[in-house]
Amino acid sequence: MSRLFSILVYLLTGAFFVVFFLYPIAQTLRVAFIYQNRPTLVFVKEVFRNPIYVEGLRNAFLLAVGSTGAAFVLAMPLAWLGDRYEFTAKTTLTGLLLAPMVLPPFVGAIGIRKILGQQGSLNALLHDVGLLGHDRTVDWLGQNRFWGVVALNALHLYPILYLNVAAALANIDPAMEEAAENLGCTGWRKFFKITLPLIAPGVFAGGTIVFIWAFTELGVPLIFDYTRVTPVQIFYGIKDIGSNPFPYGLVAVMLGATTLLYALSRFLFGRRAGDLTMMAKATSRGGPRAVGRAGSLACAAAFGAVIFLAMLPHFGVVLTAFSRDWYGTILPVSWTLANFQAALGHSLTVPSIGNSLKYAAISTVFDALLGIAIAYVVVRTTLPGRQALDALAMLPLAVPGIVLAFGYLAMTQEGQPLAFLNPIKNPVPLLVIAYAVRRLPYMVRSASAGFQQTSVTLEEAAQNLGSTPFRALRRVTLPLITANLLAGGLLTFSFAMLEVSDSLLLAQKQENYPITKAIYELFNLLGTGRGVASALGVWAMAFLGVTILGASALLGKRMGALFRS
Amino acid sequence: MIAVTIRDLNKQFGDHLVLDHINLRIEPGELFFLLGPSGCGKTTLLRHIAGFYYPDSGQILFDDQDVSRVPPHERGTGMMFQSYALWPHLTVAGNVAFGLEERRVPRAEITRRVDEALGSVGMNAYADRKINQLSGGQQQRVALARALVIRPRCLLLDEPLSNLDAKMRLQMRAEIRRVCKEFGLTAIYVTHDQKEALSIADRLAILDRGHLAQVGTPREIYRQPRTKAVADFIGETNFVEGRAVDPAGNAHEWRISTPLGDFMGFKADPNWELHVGEPVVLSVRPESWKLRASAPADGAPHNRVQGRIGRTVYLGEVAEYDFQPTGVGNGAAPLKMFELNPRFLEVADDTEITAFVAPEDVTVLHP
Repeated sequence: MSRLFSILVYLLTGAFFVVFFLYPIAQTLRVAFIYQNRPTLVFVKEVFRNPIYVEGLRNAFLLAVGSTGAAFVLAMPLAWLGDRYEFTAKTTLTGLLLAPMVLPPFVGAIGIRKILGQQGSLNALLHDVGLLGHDRTVDWLGQNRFWGVVALNALHLYPILYLNVAAALANIDPAMEEAAENLGCTGWRKFFKITLPLIAPGVFAGGTIVFIWAFTELGVPLIFDYTRVTPVQIFYGIKDIGSNPFPYGLVAVMLGATTLLYALSRFLFGRRAGDLTMMAKATSRGGPRAVGRAGSLACAAAFGAVIFLAMLPHFGVVLTAFSRDWYGTILPVSWTLANFQAALGHSLTVPSIGNSLKYAAISTVFDALLGIAIAYVVVRTTLPGRQALDALAMLPLAVPGIVLAFGYLAMTQEGQPLAFLNPIKNPVPLLVIAYAVRRLPYMVRSASAGFQQTSVTLEEAAQNLGSTPFRALRRVTLPLITANLLAGGLLTFSFAMLEVSDSLLLAQKQENYPITKAIYELFNLLGTGRGVASALGVWAMAFLGVTILGASALLGKRMGALFRS
Repeated sequence: MIAVTIRDLNKQFGDHLVLDHINLRIEPGELFFLLGPSGCGKTTLLRHIAGFYYPDSGQILFDDQDVSRVPPHERGTGMMFQSYALWPHLTVAGNVAFGLEERRVPRAEITRRVDEALGSVGMNAYADRKINQLSGGQQQRVALARALVIRPRCLLLDEPLSNLDAKMRLQMRAEIRRVCKEFGLTAIYVTHDQKEALSIADRLAILDRGHLAQVGTPREIYRQPRTKAVADFIGETNFVEGRAVDPAGNAHEWRISTPLGDFMGFKADPNWELHVGEPVVLSVRPESWKLRASAPADGAPHNRVQGRIGRTVYLGEVAEYDFQPTGVGNGAAPLKMFELNPRFLEVADDTEITAFVAPEDVTVLHP
């Protein structure tokens, strides 16, 4: 491609990022640190002085630690088993392992409350088998809902860790471990001295993503009514965003914390950790060993157990959606389709599905174009500063959705140059842009991986035979990296459909609600609201499931490969 | 069939001068080789001719047309890449048809020409195969067919045989020469394998750290290397330092005195003004020595060395000896000598042997 084109891409993407990424953050920081034209630390200090904010930060941190730890406990053994052993139904099970990602965890929270609540299925089951007296109930989610949030987060986020660790394990040269064995180091010793250090970058990369995600999770604590946590405090703070600088201070602190963590992971493990190693491709395989029949069943059981746990919230959602009345029994006593009918007729739900499809589709197309262009410039040209472009495109990973959405609100306040984008008037442009910015890294990563795996000589051969550079790209490289692009596009699309914090903050007009916001609003309605919300959740699950399976069938690949490629 | 002319071409990557004032003319229909150790700039030069790099200064001409700034897709060269660069998402026929499609050749003609091109490399039966179903040698043939089918103005080959096994290489290099001559193509072939170059090239150029060290026929390059670097790179040789004593009747033939005795030899570079007393270095190929068990009483007192055979390596048709000169004081480096149909393997360690070399096998070089 010509140098002019590269420079053009560079400038356009640069400008886009400055306006819709750096500027909103700068705007937030300006309010947080500048008061009446003087720099001030008053608001940030106040965040650390106000016991409610401090408690919020402490809780958010503990939630993140707990969620990440729990996700590790779930993901590490499975990744190891999957890498080393061949067992019954392995492909299906590893595919299903990723299934929980098709539902935003806050919808799952609605379901899990039906199962683990005081009047939920589990208590009913224990009553029935006599392990629990009929006069007693156990509040499985804990008094303050803390562990409920941790469980939901972990069950939603462990696939990210699993993919990272599995990819890291698959990338280890088997000779590394064989050399250790040859020198007499086996078993756990080998794992801790050789294997773990080798997969550390992958583990840390996945851990960082999970940690930041849990630290800034808004939906789940909201549904659990767990309000003393920073993201929820920010969410409630946007009501007086025009007059109160303290939410700005809170956002600044949250941004500082995540940036620090992200920087730390990059510092510790170089570029690899910051990369979305979720997309990392296994280049070689040691070849898993067959285990005996018992071992095979044990492995399958371990996978099955985690899948069952992870799907529990989904079952809860499905059951809630189909139940007329569900209280104090294992399963609902009477079934109905009324919720689905209501969902199809409700003024909130019908437009929301269309809206989500539309926003997600536009942002995906946008990301695809931008992602391919950026990846091309970064991988295939020698433009000075292309690494900076690459780093810029990856930055949204470090900035939580809630911070960015807050920044968008801040930059469109009355009197700001971008006030015409204010979501109170029309949230669509900002929603689409927010989705696009947040998910761009996935697209850039998958496209760059494709470009890197496809030798440039293939394009040169086409040019040598008479193709213009652009045609060579279109006829040779793009067909060859379809799988990468489709995988990236699919991730982008699904995540845009499921985007919670941006949607909750930015969708401020009912006719423009996306699915997630509609579910949240329905959940807060009295009466049949939760049933209808669940029905909508089921629709969303079914829809995303079909999309992903359809695309994987189209690709002739299994789902797991799709998410890894 | 075109002539390719390169005029004063320079290219720098960062601070590193990769091509340094290259001047070269490749005649129409010639099979021309660019040869040199890795990093010498030979592939860079080929990529300039293909158009993947533009020169910092200087020109590349196809006949009289200056193509220095013409993008690769408008140059009409056919290139064979070291990795073959066959597209895995297309079939064999699809790969070969690609260049014709880009030239908007009518369908029917494409089919005919693809068929013909695959036929000329014996790959007709594989037209519908996928690339990953082919062996290395078959891929190599497809790559050749793909480059030939567009009737290129010149054929560019970038180490096309380096991924094949030894036997396949022998077969394919003959095949490539046959095809080039059959199609009457101007072909430029990059390799670091001197056997490949010596065996099929019409002429070759030796590149050394970005500049042209020598251009000539295989025999000229091997027998009359102009510089130490060329002599060293092509084949094996012994370097012996010495000093010019006096010219013989022929202006190119000189007597050189060395610690091993006097040698008559020819200077390879006719433009070199050699003066009496000037330090020189002699290059003598290991295979040009003749070994005798006893020194003849008469004969010229030069171009001979007394010594003993040290380490030997037996290779069947040939033996390689480390010949340790005697009577010249300590520290004379052993000379490498080859003997075809070896007879001196069994001599006792302390047997004195005399090695002779003809003056025409002694090349006088700049030190």
